[in-house]
Amino acid sequence: MPLLINRQPAADRWTLIQPQEGETLEALATGVDALLVPIEQLDAAAALNPAALGVQINGDHSVAQLQPWLARVTLIAVEFPVFRDGRGYSLARQIRRLGYEGELRAVGNVGRDQLGYMERCGFNAFSLADDRYSPDTLKAFSEISVRYQGAADDPRPVYRQHSESTV
Amino acid sequence: MYQYNTVDQQIVDERVEQFRDQTRRYLAGDLSDDEFLALRLMNGLYIQRQAPMLRVAIPYGLMSANQLRKLAHIARTYDKGYGHFTTRTNIQFNWPKLEEVPDILAELAQVQMHAIQTSGNCIRNTTTDHFAGVTPDELEDPRPWCEIIRQWSTLHPEFAYLPRKFKIAVTGSAEDRAASQVHDIGLHLVRNAEGDIGFEVLVGGGLGRTPVIGKVIREFLPKQDLLSYLDAILRVYNLNGRRDNKYKARIKILVEAMGVDAFRDQVEAEWQHTRDTELRLTDAEIARVKGFFQPHPYEALPAESPALQQQLQSDSDFKVWFERNTRAHKVSGYRCVVVSLKPLLGAPGDITDRQMDVVAELAEQYSFAEIRSTHDQNLVLAEVRQDDLYAVWTVLTEYNLARANINTLTDMIVCPGFDFCALANAKTLNISDAINAEFDNLDYLYDLGDIQLNMSGCINACGHHHVGHIGILGVDKKGEDWYQITLGGSGREDASLGKVLGKAVAADEVPAVLRKILETYVEQRTDEERFLDTVRRVGLTPFKEKVYASAH
Ligand code: SF4
Repeated sequence: MPLLINRQPAADRWTLIQPQEGETLEALATGVDALLVPIEQLDAAAALNPAALGVQINGDHSVAQLQPWLARVTLIAVEFPVFRDGRGYSLARQIRRLGYEGELRAVGNVGRDQLGYMERCGFNAFSLADDRYSPDTLKAFSEISVRYQGAADDPRPVYRQHSESTV
Repeated sequence: MYQYNTVDQQIVDERVEQFRDQTRRYLAGDLSDDEFLALRLMNGLYIQRQAPMLRVAIPYGLMSANQLRKLAHIARTYDKGYGHFTTRTNIQFNWPKLEEVPDILAELAQVQMHAIQTSGNCIRNTTTDHFAGVTPDELEDPRPWCEIIRQWSTLHPEFAYLPRKFKIAVTGSAEDRAASQVHDIGLHLVRNAEGDIGFEVLVGGGLGRTPVIGKVIREFLPKQDLLSYLDAILRVYNLNGRRDNKYKARIKILVEAMGVDAFRDQVEAEWQHTRDTELRLTDAEIARVKGFFQPHPYEALPAESPALQQQLQSDSDFKVWFERNTRAHKVSGYRCVVVSLKPLLGAPGDITDRQMDVVAELAEQYSFAEIRSTHDQNLVLAEVRQDDLYAVWTVLTEYNLARANINTLTDMIVCPGFDFCALANAKTLNISDAINAEFDNLDYLYDLGDIQLNMSGCINACGHHHVGHIGILGVDKKGEDWYQITLGGSGREDASLGKVLGKAVAADEVPAVLRKILETYVEQRTDEERFLDTVRRVGLTPFKEKVYASAH
């Protein structure tokens, strides 16, 4: 699956482990360096002491659940089950607002036409399906070069970008 | 009015190119139907029964003569020579070609217009009082605040995939001409005990399948906090609104489910994170935007115009129009003119390219080159000298824009219905024609006084039927069009939802049923009592008895 990090194609060093009925995380995660797990498995995964620990959430989760882990994880993957499910955009804003500076990755139904807004909300990594990626995809980030609102990328709305006033 | 700077212009220009590329990729098969759907909706493009439909934004209903001329040009060049004004004060074109839409958007960008977020599950065009800035009873002009909201909400990266569409209205006077209480958010400019002006904030109003009157969640919001508070409401909604059922996805359902107090608590908690951040509006920005809405250079004129008095005496048609279709202006010697888009023959809210050109020219000549579109689907020339009214009326009459029916029964709000809309259950335009034919006697309409009739072709309620004094809702019964009638609704400051009169009636019965309703009103009313007040006082029973008597 093509992966973009900071607007560049990148190799994915993470392994997502989702134990099914009858499987244990421990068995599946042996030998995995960069271990990505659903938030429900996070306690168990941390106990395994992987070299790198990542967590995957979706719109049903809240940042409150994530907050205790922000210093420990270096990847947060937010899943978009369908591209119309916009909860991940707000989650990303809240995650960045809490000071998390690691990789924040959009996964699931992610397409070129969502990338610009996702990046503005704080995502810096994007996992796209094979058939939804082409070199042309990178252009998506620069289609709209000016913006009215502040967001995770630049908190200043347009009216604070050029004026000194902070009243 | 607001003028684009280079940033505003660049945003619409880049947006046009972005959409051009999306359309190209769609036509080349690189973009799925489903994905293109979401993208084109955010640019106002629907695929309807007949053809694509393009909805162009008229922010808070204000446009320049040049912009209206451009709309006329688009109607002529890319469409069948007309457009349709909507209850969000936008204009729709019913016959554009998909592959030409990027060109239409480029033409719009030339005159500082766009179709951004006129549909889709995002923040839509903010609406306001169509007499904003000129009505004598105003606390403050709401339009600068609408423009501030427009900029904040335009291409907002976080709120493009909300659970459902989101509508905001702002009012600045005690009279509510913007139906603010049936919006997702209603903002009322108010003065607090300390004498400061800020906003009363309502949430969770709306029509559709589950009509609800909005609830106050904050009695006073300081102006500088407007955007941070809106941001908090939207974030709570975006994270918690239902996404499993589109009929339960509006914020009103969330507010009802959580309870308004719990909803308020969440908003306030979220707001604590953002209220003192960059989202706080600067005085400089407020002053900059307000600078675009300063009073026009009015002439010092006496309140009385001898010329006007003479014309009123000598021409009774003019007098009738003056009384029905003009309103007081806050500046002595000026009046607001309502241009009726409710002719005897024709769809309510429709306007031809020629008529658009004519109104643009009148605006240029007589009303500081500005035109407003109203939520009840008319136009307004807001600043006409009394001495010029006769000339304006003469031209409007010539182009069938002066039917003296404003606020009467035939000044109906009507959605396009089955003839154009893919979602419709029933036709609406044949019913409005039948009502026009049945009630063509203006003297009778004047005797009835102010009556708001609203009609929708399906439960989505684009025609605001719940808040009509008389509401008509088209329903489908075994493939036939039937109409359910409600009485006693209001979208004004005394907002209320209409109550269902009884079982639905067939299309050809609607005019006769209306006649019985109006006869009942005339029998029941006390002196000077409005239709709505009579319904509220006597209840539905006398109306029911009369309408359904013969059916038993
Ligand atoms: S109310 Fe229904 S029929 Fe009328 S425009 Fe809206 S969706 Fe279409």
